[in-house]
Amino acid sequence: MRSALQAVALWGRKAPPHSITAIMITDDQRTIVTGSQEGQLCLWSLSPELKISAKELLFGHSASVTCLARARDFSKQPYVVSAAENGEMCLWDVSSGQCVEKTTLPYRHTAICYYHCSFRMTGEGWLLCCGEYQDVLVLDAGTLAVLHTFSSSQSPDWMKCMCIVHSVRIQEDSLLVVSVTGELKVWDLSSSINSIQEKQDVYEKESKFLDSFNCQTIRFCTYTERLLLVVFSKCWKIYDYCDFSLLWTEVSRDGQFFAGGEVLAAHRILVWTEDGHSYIYQLLNRWAQMGTAFRTFSGLSKCMCPADGGVLKGTVYPHLLCSTSVEENKSLHFVMGYMNERKEPFYKVLFSGEVSGRITLWHIPDVPISKFDGSPREIPITTTWTLQDNFDKHQMVSQSIADHFSGSRDEVGETVTITSSEYVPNLDKLICGCEDGTIFITKALNAAKAGLLEGGSLLKDSPCHTLLRGHRHSVTSLLYPHSLASKLDQSWMVSGDRGSYVILWDIFTEEILHTFFLEAGPVTRLLMSPENLKRSDGQILCCVCGDHSVALLHLEGRRCLLRARKHLFPVRTIRWHPVENFLIVGCTDDSVYIWEIETGTLERHETGERARIILNCGDDAQLVRSEPTLSVASETHKHKSVEQKSSNSHLPGPVPCPGLQLESSCQVADASSVPRPFNVLPVKTKWSHVGFHVLLFDLENLVELLLPTPLSDVDPSGSFYGSDILRRAKSTVEKKTLTIRRNKASCTSLQAEAQAKSSGETLLPGDSTCKFSEESNGIKRQKKMKSSKKARPKPSRKVDASLTIDMAKLFLSCILPWGVDKELDSLCTRHLSILKLQGPVSLGLASNEDLFSLMLPGWDACNTEMKEYSGVNLCSRKVLDLSNKYTTALLNQTGIPRSLENHCDALQQSDAIVYLLSRLFLVNKLVNMPLDLACETDRPFKMESVHNKVRFPGSDILNLSSFYGHLKNGRHECHTPEADLSLLKLISCWRDQSVQVTEAIQAALLAEVQQHMKSLRDTPVRSQPDPVAEHSICERVQTSAKVEQAEELELQCVGTSSPLKTSVSSVKQGNDLNSANFQDTEDILDRCVLEESESAGQPRHRPWIAKVCSCRMC
Amino acid sequence: MATAMAASAAERAVLEEEFRWLLHAEVHAVLRQLQDILKEASLRFTLPGPSTEGPAKQENFILGSCGTDQVKGVLTLQGDALSQADVNLKMPRNNQLLHFAFREDKQWKLQQIQDARNHVSQAIYLLANRDESYQFKTGAEVLKLMDAVMLQLTRARNRLTTPATLTLPEIAASGLTRMFAPTLPSDLLVNVYINLNKLCLTVYQLHTLQPTSTKNFRPAGGAVLHSPGAMFEWGSQRLEVSHVHKVECVIPWLNDALVYFTVSLQLCQQLKDKISVFSSYWSSRPF
Repeated sequence: MRSALQAVALWGRKAPPHSITAIMITDDQRTIVTGSQEGQLCLWSLSPELKISAKELLFGHSASVTCLARARDFSKQPYVVSAAENGEMCLWDVSSGQCVEKTTLPYRHTAICYYHCSFRMTGEGWLLCCGEYQDVLVLDAGTLAVLHTFSSSQSPDWMKCMCIVHSVRIQEDSLLVVSVTGELKVWDLSSSINSIQEKQDVYEKESKFLDSFNCQTIRFCTYTERLLLVVFSKCWKIYDYCDFSLLWTEVSRDGQFFAGGEVLAAHRILVWTEDGHSYIYQLLNRWAQMGTAFRTFSGLSKCMCPADGGVLKGTVYPHLLCSTSVEENKSLHFVMGYMNERKEPFYKVLFSGEVSGRITLWHIPDVPISKFDGSPREIPITTTWTLQDNFDKHQMVSQSIADHFSGSRDEVGETVTITSSEYVPNLDKLICGCEDGTIFITKALNAAKAGLLEGGSLLKDSPCHTLLRGHRHSVTSLLYPHSLASKLDQSWMVSGDRGSYVILWDIFTEEILHTFFLEAGPVTRLLMSPENLKRSDGQILCCVCGDHSVALLHLEGRRCLLRARKHLFPVRTIRWHPVENFLIVGCTDDSVYIWEIETGTLERHETGERARIILNCGDDAQLVRSEPTLSVASETHKHKSVEQKSSNSHLPGPVPCPGLQLESSCQVADASSVPRPFNVLPVKTKWSHVGFHVLLFDLENLVELLLPTPLSDVDPSGSFYGSDILRRAKSTVEKKTLTIRRNKASCTSLQAEAQAKSSGETLLPGDSTCKFSEESNGIKRQKKMKSSKKARPKPSRKVDASLTIDMAKLFLSCILPWGVDKELDSLCTRHLSILKLQGPVSLGLASNEDLFSLMLPGWDACNTEMKEYSGVNLCSRKVLDLSNKYTTALLNQTGIPRSLENHCDALQQSDAIVYLLSRLFLVNKLVNMPLDLACETDRPFKMESVHNKVRFPGSDILNLSSFYGHLKNGRHECHTPEADLSLLKLISCWRDQSVQVTEAIQAALLAEVQQHMKSLRDTPVRSQPDPVAEHSICERVQTSAKVEQAEELELQCVGTSSPLKTSVSSVKQGNDLNSANFQDTEDILDRCVLEESESAGQPRHRPWIAKVCSCRMC
Repeated sequence: MATAMAASAAERAVLEEEFRWLLHAEVHAVLRQLQDILKEASLRFTLPGPSTEGPAKQENFILGSCGTDQVKGVLTLQGDALSQADVNLKMPRNNQLLHFAFREDKQWKLQQIQDARNHVSQAIYLLANRDESYQFKTGAEVLKLMDAVMLQLTRARNRLTTPATLTLPEIAASGLTRMFAPTLPSDLLVNVYINLNKLCLTVYQLHTLQPTSTKNFRPAGGAVLHSPGAMFEWGSQRLEVSHVHKVECVIPWLNDALVYFTVSLQLCQQLKDKISVFSSYWSSRPF
């Protein structure tokens, strides 16, 4: 199960740079996929009218994308594979924008072809790859693992391009590959599937030198099954496929470089150049003019005896029919492609992507013809679009986090460009350095709210920011040392600027404590030394400068310790040798410099192999370079291991400073390594100053902070043993990866225990106690923190409740589909006191491994079927259906006591929010459970013994339901397990239907809010001023018989009319569809219900539990 | 700050002018210089194939070590391939002289040289599209080009400076051991690689570990040069390296190539640094 963080992007006005290096259109002609030099992928939706709009930006690669390719039969799974300069490969589901698989191989691919042979292959098929290595690699399209190679017996070399030839005539697939030296090689594909699977060597069938270098493309004409188009950078050639004899060579004119080509139809080809021009040629064939009889005859004879293919020689010559070009001034690099029409509504499309990020489409007519006088006709550009166009068009939604700030600062008048920023989670402050040298500090939550939400009152009281003036140049780097070195003063903040000044500030008094002048160019990076560095006088600040030098500053002593100035190349990594006080500097040319900190002398300089060893050894050294998993993962991860934390904290936690300039294309300078429900991530892209901020919400964390956790502090029985078990039960819920020894007995017992605990807890009198514990929660936590013997305080626990509620409100505001129902909107703002969004927000998802997907401004305009909902914060149309289903599932539960319905406002608000969040968390968790795990859930109980060694997937569900049960029980008394069940079922169902997490969450929220507000809608109208009446209603609701409730609900159901009914049937359908898969899950769930009710019946079945549990503990 | 802003008006104009010159004149000058150097470097790696006049010329290298003369090798390099090899080995125990040579029909590709050559030609190709007629519009564009070129050059250099670390079973399985006539005895392993500017030949003498042996069997990991005592499992046998012989010989043109790589990398970095000085300008407006 992956835990994904919900993200909201605050893009600002400028689009992030996207220099297109690879482009493709998916088979359904709905999506354009581009890969960029910065390492991101962009999904653009393509409307049936050939209008482009950017939809989503996918972060996954840390280096330039080299190629993209289809990775499945597209009609079944919309998967695309991308490969990057550094060997990373990602498999993306382009419909949801999720990374399905990621791997890093020591190969750099330049071309990938998907191959699948349904009747001879099991699995997902192959990815045939070539690139900067010998021969052709065969990867498994499912796992991205290397299966084998197609090897050459003669002169193996790098391969430049390839194509798969599928000939209907001979029923044999072949692989044609051209090497960098221009050698054409042919491998049998279909007949060598077995050999490859058995890892036997497969050598080429034929090979031939083509007498040209820099082959760009090779294409087989499927219409004639005879011709081969090979495009080199300086010429293109036509070969006869039968014997590879050269039929025609066309040399490029006026210094153009050809970049690729495609066969349009029989004897019609399209060739394009690197500067964005393309040409359509008719290959005139003398046979074509000689009558069909001869043609069929000759075609037959040719294929039967390829030896006389020489007859073709000289019979083919090209005639230029049409051409396309881009606007003049552009001489940049273009990547182009051609998409052939499949069936009726599809077009023949020529597309190109530029370094500037512009996409251009040409609609190629079915029969391109030249002008009457025979001169080539110019095909006009059909569409052109850039990311910036999206931003301009939907500007009002693309708020930047600092907009309210610059708006309030009218002395300059123009908006300031933020050049660096840092988030301090302990103080919830965002520090931003600007281009003009000012630094402002503001409350991050307020800034985010002001940027996203409606409401003028908020804007007025929010500018509680601080302004620091001291730099004369643009601020290039910021650091809040206390978050990395707890010994240092909490008020200190360090900033570096372009003019090589480093200033130490006191952020509370807003004064400059000291100014260092380094005389070494822009200060590009500020880092702290690890805590374990053996120095008497504490930790050191390390400044990486623009002239490749490194300076070490001692903040407390206000002095400079070391100037390391010998580096010829930019600094890539910095490591510390804790014992001998060495500073180890790794440069981008792979050389290593070792400096002695005490004396400031250069100890050693190493290159090559030895440098690599030095950098790789010393695992206790501090790593500064970006760890791909660091930024997001560590947060959740550390959170998971609460118990291990005390021991962890002694280790030198990796400093969250990802990559120096060259290393990672997208610097995700994450702000904290402590678990936080809310986080601001400043993102900066390579080669530009354009940056933006991402707000991250950790649902799990939020829920946990808000809930009065039934751990030890609210344990009525006070039994140490019980609470211990419960804690463990809870930690298993969180940890997801379960211990090996888990088996059914322990699992169910755990769950029962949790149940017992929570039902015990329900003895707590009423809601007011809940509220009380809710409020006192923060204080209690702090007390607990103080009393704990841990050396380091856990800042995560220092969250005051109102702030957390604020975070939760902001999150709900961002997720809620505003505008679907106007009345609902106003009810929400009134009763939940959450504010309306200014416009559709750019939602995103951040999963473990530095994988982000972020919607772009204007994503809501992408879906054509959502026209009526434009301007509505709705993920997709599906959400409405889903939420209807969810509502029905809710309704199916007879007599749900919405105990939070009728209280006075303040209580109700936070209660409702907590309840909503816990629901969303559950949905999130269920949907996020990986599919393979989910598929396994039907087995676990049947093979208990076998599963002793395997991870125990089924228990996830159990734990979840138990956790959920205790969530619910913790809050509200009487609760019917069937309610959870039908919901669980539904949501598991969504997962199987690959509903996106965000969609599911949004749907659930919509339904819950609707449900929640429905009751509110009635009560205030009838009895707003009368608390007694309200109370009576409350009583009525709570005590009403199930039948009554059901009736009422039915009535409501009728009220909402037909769509609901249809959705009921569709739910059933869905259940039927999934029933095969689902039955066993149901089974499990049933069991779990059984156990639940059992334990509810006898909540204190301690001896039995103790027995089981003691086995577990042994 | 106000004075800084005021003074900069004239200064800005000068800087902008300077930056324009850098983009339009200086960059091209550097690129031309780079291209010349890299062409020179790529000439060192003779390209195979019928397009070059005749087959690539053959060079003989006599490999030896300054210490002992137990192993002598004469390797013939033809472009990126070893076309002939003669290895003489004096067995340390009985002073028996063993002689092996490549089979007539076989060639052994030195992948390191091939990769380095391909990386250089990629770098040249990147530069070829940017001749004088091309107008650079932003500094970022130059930086991107330089990054791409430097990536290729760094890889080219690293291929030569860092030979592959192989495990002993990998060496045993490699095709090189099957290239010899007469076939290598089972207690010999041979590896050939490039280290910096040197062509290196290592010969490992092995002896089988008895299953009853009390020695603690621990298979050795990957290494460029394994030391005596390294153990591995091959087939059903457990083997241990008893002697290691390493002989090497400097290839002069590889030395040249490495120097060219280093020089051009520095050129690239210097150009990048020059551009970066103006980086506050190219963000605000394109030229």
